[in-house]
Amino acid sequence: MATVTLNQAQKTYPNGFKAIHGIDLKIEHGEFTVLVGPSGCGKSTLLRMIAGLEGISDGEIIIDDKVVNTVAPADRDIAMVFQNYALYPHMNNYGNMAYGLKNRGYSKAEIDAKVREAARILQLEDHLERKPRQLSGGQRQRVAMGRAIVRQPKVFLFDEPLSNLDAKLRVDMRLEIKNLQQRLGITSVYVTHDQVEAMTLADRLIVMNGGVAEQIGTPIDIYEKPASQFVAGFIGSPAMNFLKGKVSDDKKHVTVGDGVMLDLDHDVEAGRDVTVGIRPEHLELLKDGEGRINAGVRMVESLGAETLAYLDFGANADNVTLRLQGTHTFEKGEKLSLSVPASKIHLFDIESGQRI
Amino acid sequence: MYQSKWRIFTNHTILVLGSLFMILPVWIAFASSTHTREYIFQNGLQFLPGGEFFTNYGAILFDAEATKGRVTALEMLFNSMVLGLGFAIGKVIISMMAAYAIVYFRFKLAVPLFWIIFSTLLLPLEVRIVPSYEVVANLGLLNTYTGLILPLIASATGTFFFRQFYRSVPDELLEAARLDGAGPIRFFIDILVPLSVTMIAAIFIIMFVVGWNQYLWPLLMTTDDQLYTIVIGIKQVYNSLYEGGQIPQFPKAFALTIMASVPPVLVVVIFQRMFVKGLVETEK
Repeated sequence: MATVTLNQAQKTYPNGFKAIHGIDLKIEHGEFTVLVGPSGCGKSTLLRMIAGLEGISDGEIIIDDKVVNTVAPADRDIAMVFQNYALYPHMNNYGNMAYGLKNRGYSKAEIDAKVREAARILQLEDHLERKPRQLSGGQRQRVAMGRAIVRQPKVFLFDEPLSNLDAKLRVDMRLEIKNLQQRLGITSVYVTHDQVEAMTLADRLIVMNGGVAEQIGTPIDIYEKPASQFVAGFIGSPAMNFLKGKVSDDKKHVTVGDGVMLDLDHDVEAGRDVTVGIRPEHLELLKDGEGRINAGVRMVESLGAETLAYLDFGANADNVTLRLQGTHTFEKGEKLSLSVPASKIHLFDIESGQRI
Repeated sequence: MYQSKWRIFTNHTILVLGSLFMILPVWIAFASSTHTREYIFQNGLQFLPGGEFFTNYGAILFDAEATKGRVTALEMLFNSMVLGLGFAIGKVIISMMAAYAIVYFRFKLAVPLFWIIFSTLLLPLEVRIVPSYEVVANLGLLNTYTGLILPLIASATGTFFFRQFYRSVPDELLEAARLDGAGPIRFFIDILVPLSVTMIAAIFIIMFVVGWNQYLWPLLMTTDDQLYTIVIGIKQVYNSLYEGGQIPQFPKAFALTIMASVPPVLVVVIFQRMFVKGLVETEK
C-alpha cells in the first residue's frame, strides 16, 4: 500500500519536445487510477516516468513520502505489466515469476512459496513448467501479472495490458484485473486508450491530451461534467455531438443548426457564440410535433439492444447521432421530433473549448 | 504449390548433378587414399576404395615420418582444433560483448565506432597481415597459441550479426529485467545470452570453419613444426611428394586431406540444426 504523488512532473526530450507539461496528482492508498487519452498524449510516458524507465525533467515524483526522481526502477518497489507481456521467452513461467525475487536475494523456499501463491491466485498452477510461447495470450498476460504480484510491490503499473487480446478475452481480463486489484488492495496506475476500460476500471480517471491532464475525477464526474470539449468528445461512445450555437437574448435558449431552439439552464451572457454538446443518449424521441427539434434521418445502424440514427440538423451542421434503446425502424429522410432536457446540454467556449 | 512432373525431374537432375560435382573429387581423394602408393602410381586415381585404409591412416596419424615433418597428423589436428576453437569461441565472446556495448549503452561515438568496426569487414586479413605479424613478433608471441589466436579474435562480422540480433530484441524485455532488479551484467548473462543461443551456434560454426582453414596466418606465425596446423601440413606433404626419388606418397597425402576436412564437417553436421535455425529465425 502506498501513495503516489506527482508535483509538477515534466518531461522534455533532448530534442526539445515537451511530452509532459507539468502534472499534479495524488494517488491514494489502494486507489485504481486510469490514465486515458489518444495516442501521443503522453500517458505512457507519464507511467514510465513513475516506473523510472524515463527520467523526469522537472518536478517531483513521490512514492510514499519519498522522492524517487533518481531512484532506479528496481528500487522503487513497483511492478509493471507491459502491453506485449515482455516475458522472458527462454524461461518457463515459474522462472519468469521467480526472476525478480531471485535478483532480490530471496531464499529458494521463499521464492517457491510466493510463486506458488501467485500462481494459485491467477490459476496458473498447471502451467508453471511451460514456456510462455506455449500459452495463450490471456495466460501470458496472467503470467505477466504473476510476475508483478509475487513481489508484493507498493504500486502496480499497467501499460495497456489488454490491447493485444481479442475483444471477449479483454472483457474477461478486465474484470479479473479489477477483481485482483480490489482483493490485493494495491495502488495501481493503468494506461489505456480504450475508454470502456477506463470507465469500468477506474476509481479515478485522468484524461490526458497533449501532455496535459485535461481532467481528473471519478468516471461518472467526467462523463457528466466534462471539463472541456476534448474530454467530452473522448469519453462516451458514440461520441458527444457538437454543434455551433448562439445564446438567445433572454439567455433561456440556444440556437443550433438551422434555427433549432434548445432550452438552456446555464449562466451565460446573451448573444455569445458557443459550442453545444449533446450526448447521443440524451436526445429524447417524442411523438410528432411535440419536440423542439425536427430532424431528418440520414442513416440508421441497428445493434439489437440499441439503435443509432444519424440525423440531419441542417446544412451547416455535422451528422448528429441519436442513441435509442431497443430496435427502431426509421425510413431514410423520415422526420423525427426530439428534445433534450436543459440539464443535459453542455456548453463549451468556442476558442478555448473549456466548459461554460 | 503445384509442380509438374517434368519440372520436378529437371530440378532434381540439376541438384543431383550439382551434388555429384561437389562430392566426386572428395570421394576420389578418399578412394585413392586407401590404396598403396605403388598402385596409385601405376593406375592413377581410383573410384573404388582399396584395402590400405588402416595402414595409411594409421601411418599418417601416428607416424611423423609419413607427414614429412617432425609432427604427426594427430598433433596437427590438435593444433588446428586449438586454433579453430580458440578463434571461434574468442570471436563469439568478443563480438557479443562489443555488440552489447554498442546496442545497449549510450556513449559518445558509439555510432561512428560501430561503422569503423563495420568497415573493417571490407578488409581481408591479408591486408593487415604484415603489421599484425610485427605486433605479434614484438610481443614475443611467435610460435605460441596465444600469438596464433589473439590477433584474430576481433570480429566485425560477428559484432555486426550480434548487433542486428540485439536490436531485434524488444526493449520491454530490458525494461522488465530492470524492474526485476537485473543490472547490466545480469541482464546480459540471464537474458541476452540464452536468447542468443542459436545465433551463437551459427557464428561459432562459421568462425570455427574459417579458423580451421586459416593458412597464411599460421604459416607466418609458426616456424616451429610443433605448432603446425593440419592445413599447413597438407601443403608440406604435397610439396615434398616428389622428393628423394621415391614413389610419391599420394595415398597418404590424400588421407591427410580427408582427415583435415573431417572435423569441420562434423561440427557443421552436429550444429546444423541450430545453425539453420539461427540464420533463419530467432526465437523471441
